[in-house]
Amino acid sequence: MRVTWDIFCSVIDNFGDIGVTWRLARQLVAEHDQAVRLWVDDLDALCRLCPEANAEDAVQRLRGVEVHRWPQDWPPVPVADVVIEAFACQLPAVYIDAMTQRATPPLWLNLEYLSAEDWVAGCHGLPSPQLNGLQKFFFFPGFTPQTGGLLRETGLIEQRQRFQQDPANRQQFLQRLGINIEPEACLISLFAYENPALASWLEAMAAAGRPTHLLVPEGRIIADLQRWLGVDHLTTGDLHSRGTLTVQIIPFLSQDDYDRLLWSCDFNAVRGEDSFVRAQWAGRPLLWHIYPQQENAHLHKLEAFLKLYSAGLSAVASAALLAQWRAWNSAQDMQESWQAILEVLPELTEQAENWCQQLAGQINISAALVNFHLNWLKCPPKV
Amino acid sequence: MKAASELKVNSVILIDGQPWIVQKTEYTKSGRNSAINKIKMKNLLSGSTTETVYKFDDKVEPVMLDKLDVTYSYSSDSMYVFMDEEYNQYELNADDLESVLPYIVDGMTDVCSAVFFEGKVISVDLPTTIVREIVYTEGSARGDTSGKVMKIAKLSNGTEIKVADFCEIGDWIEIDSRNGEYKSRAKAPA
Repeated sequence: MRVTWDIFCSVIDNFGDIGVTWRLARQLVAEHDQAVRLWVDDLDALCRLCPEANAEDAVQRLRGVEVHRWPQDWPPVPVADVVIEAFACQLPAVYIDAMTQRATPPLWLNLEYLSAEDWVAGCHGLPSPQLNGLQKFFFFPGFTPQTGGLLRETGLIEQRQRFQQDPANRQQFLQRLGINIEPEACLISLFAYENPALASWLEAMAAAGRPTHLLVPEGRIIADLQRWLGVDHLTTGDLHSRGTLTVQIIPFLSQDDYDRLLWSCDFNAVRGEDSFVRAQWAGRPLLWHIYPQQENAHLHKLEAFLKLYSAGLSAVASAALLAQWRAWNSAQDMQESWQAILEVLPELTEQAENWCQQLAGQINISAALVNFHLNWLKCPPKV
Repeated sequence: MKAASELKVNSVILIDGQPWIVQKTEYTKSGRNSAINKIKMKNLLSGSTTETVYKFDDKVEPVMLDKLDVTYSYSSDSMYVFMDEEYNQYELNADDLESVLPYIVDGMTDVCSAVFFEGKVISVDLPTTIVREIVYTEGSARGDTSGKVMKIAKLSNGTEIKVADFCEIGDWIEIDSRNGEYKSRAKAPA
């Protein structure tokens, strides 16, 4: 009997919620032979990441995952062996009632947000006794062995390395997207929230004295880009040059193609959670636009990651990295910090690969979840 | 019901019919402006401790424990007997008194609080400040009078605590019963 999983995903904004849960669902099926239902309240968001999905289909099977539209009126469905509420989303009350009625209670997990902060290790895997007698467990992704790890498919790093070793792969992929770059150009991808710091970064790239080709998938940063370019509208395929900078708008990519884009670029600006993790698997230098939070709580999370990520760098490279990431996340001028980054780019590239290899030595989330379930079955922890 | 965000040290909640007292809370911001509360708590019946995590808006069941003023009477075979104003006796074993046991001495006159859960006495709380006599300590080696230099002193029940270097045998001292810390010298109880 295959273990059954219900993963609940409420799309609040952007693509992080669906990006993470869709990857997890796929991996549980493909690598652990689990039977997975993914409940999503916004199928349009899934369609952007997975073009074969159909927003009109209430139930569809995609890559072995049973994808369901999360309906307002909850249908009577059997409760799965493992129930995951992604990012603390609220499960349907009827479903929770059914969990209490199940002959054997399911393993109930809250898959939390990714953070590099120290407290995460101390909270990972802890129970949360509920009023209805059920126990929920908090499962924290993270960057250290004391956490649940990161989403990483088996063979991902090898696949990426094979792609990067043969320049023809990059060329073919870029050509498919209609991207032609000068041989010496520094290729950069830009995926970010709205950011007033963008203009100064673009100025720096335009005046860098070396060709830079900036690829911008359609998204929230486009308005800032239009403002800097002085145009009213930007659409896929648009190409603009300013100084040594070429800006090109590309379509919003599927998860698989976005990986290839990250692998193809010399430098990747990413945001939120899912693209942030994928950029680390790309083994290339990155710039993270963290999800902004009230009371600047996100800046603590940014610093926590920087502390880990910069540990292996020289003092000069570390200073350049910290200055650029802080400027980008505090809407400060980027010109000086970008110049500093360019000077240490070879070291940052080496560090990106080392960091990737270090992380790849840890367990990935899907395997950690399957292990958590097996251990829970053997010895259910009680408060 | 109470929100998990309202839990503080010494809050008592009911889980699976068991009363748990909160010993420590750790508030952290998770992602997207949500927050969690990591809680260390102790089972008031079994004495076991555990750690849990709650979302800030999770609901928990608070417990109002009954309390009654009592004074220590005597101990016998690891049972400790306390008495209320009406001379009713309440027996607790040493395990129930784990945190206060080091400060229970014969002849103590502190007014304590017996704590009841479902009509059964489950523990006793001491006053925050208690006064005890030093029965043994080494002399002051350096003549320090600042109170910053500490040394070990023994109470009449054998409990050892750190006291100011100037304290002497026969001195009475104030102790914080929550953490066992020496506070100051004191007058002997009347």
